[in-house]
Amino acid sequence: MLTAAMSEPMTDTTTAEVAAETDAAWARSAAAGDSVAFASLYRRHAGRVHGVIVRLVGGHGVRAEDLTQEAFVRAWQALPKFRFESAFSTWLHRLAVTTALMELRSRRSGPRFDDEDALDDFGVADSAGNGTALSMDLERAVSTLPPRARAVLVLHDVEGWKHEEIANELGMAIGSSKAQLHRARQLLRRRLGGEA
Amino acid sequence: MTNSNDDAPGSGPGQVLRWQLQALRRDIQPAHDLWPDIANRIADMPRQAASTPRRVRSLVPWALAASVLLAVGFVWQLMPASGPQTVEGNPLIRQQAVSMTLEYEGALARMEQAGTHPEMKPALGDLDRSAAQILTAIDHDPEARFLLDQLRRTYARRLQLTQRAAMT
Repeated sequence: MLTAAMSEPMTDTTTAEVAAETDAAWARSAAAGDSVAFASLYRRHAGRVHGVIVRLVGGHGVRAEDLTQEAFVRAWQALPKFRFESAFSTWLHRLAVTTALMELRSRRSGPRFDDEDALDDFGVADSAGNGTALSMDLERAVSTLPPRARAVLVLHDVEGWKHEEIANELGMAIGSSKAQLHRARQLLRRRLGGEA
Repeated sequence: MTNSNDDAPGSGPGQVLRWQLQALRRDIQPAHDLWPDIANRIADMPRQAASTPRRVRSLVPWALAASVLLAVGFVWQLMPASGPQTVEGNPLIRQQAVSMTLEYEGALARMEQAGTHPEMKPALGDLDRSAAQILTAIDHDPEARFLLDQLRRTYARRLQLTQRAAMT
């Protein structure tokens, strides 16, 4: 309970439980039309939602912010049907991932999502593995991966999803997800100049 | 992390890479406050229907209770851990006790319209008396942060009880 936990020394578990209960209370209010409660949910979760979207689309900026906004608008629309069978934060996180991936798929006219061979060498270090790649930090290196490989790498290695979940979300076979992960890691090592 | 062994990048440098990747999982705040635009978009937006009218009805007391608890919690979180205190006492504690009381009374009044059970009246009365005593104690000792916490817990119990009465 929020109240009890506010007054006593809290363990991490208690803090998480309190946060989950507070989320659920806000979510129920928001589902009933309370935009103030939804604003509270936004304040609490904007960083987490924006974080995963930034990682998935490979950059900060207006595009990621538009997607974050879109994710919250979709959450508002879908909340009345949220059954509270999972934690609100888990539900929202998944919705944010779905929102980002839908956008990635829709951008096939730009950098292609499905046929990425042409992108494999984008941002790769020079032949000696030196140069700008050496100073490229990991986050930037991830952002230069081809969209599908990046999505699998981020979901698996950063967000901790299982291949089954990734395959389902991306509409691919589990084996493809594993292959994309392998490919993404190889590309990443090349881009980091073999440092990691 | 739920990675199976065959997914692991291996030991040595691969393991380092995995740790570095895990460390990328962090919150990133948007550069701009997105809430005003979100609020505009959802203002007149049609919602998906809730599952059943009965469920909607049963959520009303929850929503009311939650809004108060959260308001109280929010006020609490805004308080500095050891706020600036003066020789005359901490006016913040008194102000927040008053705000908390007003919030509580407003929500309680709305919730009690849904009906109460006579058998719960003694317990509710006890809690009301406790709240009044704590408010008096805050007047006497405005430095006592723990009293504000005690008041909040008392109000939370009162709301829970009232909510239970309204939902049964």
